[in-house]
Amino acid sequence: MIEMYNVTKIYSGGHIALQDITVKIQKGEFVFIVGPSGAGKSTFIKLLIREEVPTNGQIFFNGKNITRMKHSQVPFLRRRIGVVFQDFRLLPQKTVYENVAFAMEVIEAPLREIKKRVPKVLEMVGLSHKINAKPHELSGGEQQRVSLARALVNNPDVIIADEPTGNLDPDTSWEIMKLLNEINMNGTTLIVATHAKDIVNAMRKRVLQLDSGKLVRDEERGVY
Amino acid sequence: MKLRTLKYFFKEALQSLFRNSWMSVASIGAVASALIILGAFLMLAINVDYIAKDVESQVEITAYLKDGLNQLQVDFLKKQIQNMEEVSEFKFVSKEEAFEEFKKQVGPELLEGIENPLPNSFRIKVKTPKDVVSVAEKIKALQGIEEVKYGKGIVEKLFKITYWMRVIGIAVMLAFAALSVFIISNTIRITVFARRREIQIMKFIGATDWFVRWPFFIEGMILGLIGSIIAILILAVSYNYFYNTIKFNLPMISLVPVQLFYSYLPYFGLMGMFLGALGSGFSLKRFLKV
Repeated sequence: MIEMYNVTKIYSGGHIALQDITVKIQKGEFVFIVGPSGAGKSTFIKLLIREEVPTNGQIFFNGKNITRMKHSQVPFLRRRIGVVFQDFRLLPQKTVYENVAFAMEVIEAPLREIKKRVPKVLEMVGLSHKINAKPHELSGGEQQRVSLARALVNNPDVIIADEPTGNLDPDTSWEIMKLLNEINMNGTTLIVATHAKDIVNAMRKRVLQLDSGKLVRDEERGVY
Repeated sequence: MKLRTLKYFFKEALQSLFRNSWMSVASIGAVASALIILGAFLMLAINVDYIAKDVESQVEITAYLKDGLNQLQVDFLKKQIQNMEEVSEFKFVSKEEAFEEFKKQVGPELLEGIENPLPNSFRIKVKTPKDVVSVAEKIKALQGIEEVKYGKGIVEKLFKITYWMRVIGIAVMLAFAALSVFIISNTIRITVFARRREIQIMKFIGATDWFVRWPFFIEGMILGLIGSIIAILILAVSYNYFYNTIKFNLPMISLVPVQLFYSYLPYFGLMGMFLGALGSGFSLKRFLKV
């Protein structure tokens, strides 16, 4: 589903963020990307959502070469990918419901579908009772659930999470990880960049380890 | 585009207008002042043009015929001149008519008993004033023409002045248009900057560039439109005042009629909206490259 061939990313300053990465991720997999800060985890994710274009190499998403994609096609790639960030990135003036519905409005989904789908997704992440709250009234864990609901609402092929538990305490982190695992069980591919050693060790998923831009380990049922 | 999406665009645009109300007021003011300056210049330019055209259209060529031509020769000359493409009006003034006119001007008593010294002549007007010189030269070259007069020198000078008025006018207008775009784009940039997080999120969710752009375009166009309406009102009132004052004090100058000037004003609305859209387009460019 995602294939990278000899991908290298060198930023304009000359910094080599990723070097000769070749990796395949199958549909339905749960993959952790681990490594110290600056190892290239963020760049890896930026390349997948085409925020950046590789300096060398090719990336395929569902068989489509996204390195040669036109700028006007990028939104349609992103509609197949749900992204979750460490800092949640919710719209502060919108309610929980509106934040999630917004993702459907942006792709011009029919209103009837929005009204049906949004409560369902909010129920999945366990936020049915906070539907009219504003983000600032929520805890960090709850905010991350909202952002997860937003990532899920358009039924993406893959969810990419960049340090989803980076701002959360250990208990809340576990809840979010369980939720991600549930989503994966339902068939959505998951790619999670993280520092959370305990979680990675406990969950025993595929682990890609990056170090100074190189892929140093690719292990099924791996540990941190 | 869906109606609901359109509604969303307008809602967002209006919300942003009111949320940054003081910035909106400032940019409406900026657009209005830019358009007023533009309008004042337009007012001046079209009037100079109008006066120049008026003077130009009064320029006529007088061609004097040699004495002693027979009717056939005169008719032939008439035909030749009438067949020139550039000629719009043509009048034959006979010796006698010219003398009568002259008598009227000087007083008949003075010319009692004097033999008519005046020649037959043609009075010719041309379609485009700038052809005056070349037509005059052409007529002069015809057989049987004694002399051609057309206010040589004055005509050329007048054309030079009106030419430069037009060039300078267009240049100044372009400069003011660019200034308006700059001011609007700065205003929109502030709203765009305030909402850069939102734009970023929209882009990550998979919004197309145009989906992100439209609310800002609409905001820019509304700002431009309101600014231009204010400018139109001020210009309309002041031109009316200007026109009546000049007409009362300097009746010999013919100005562009008020109605004609008013007919230019609706274009200011379009121009305001266009400038607004252009300004917001510039300010968005950077933020869409995510």
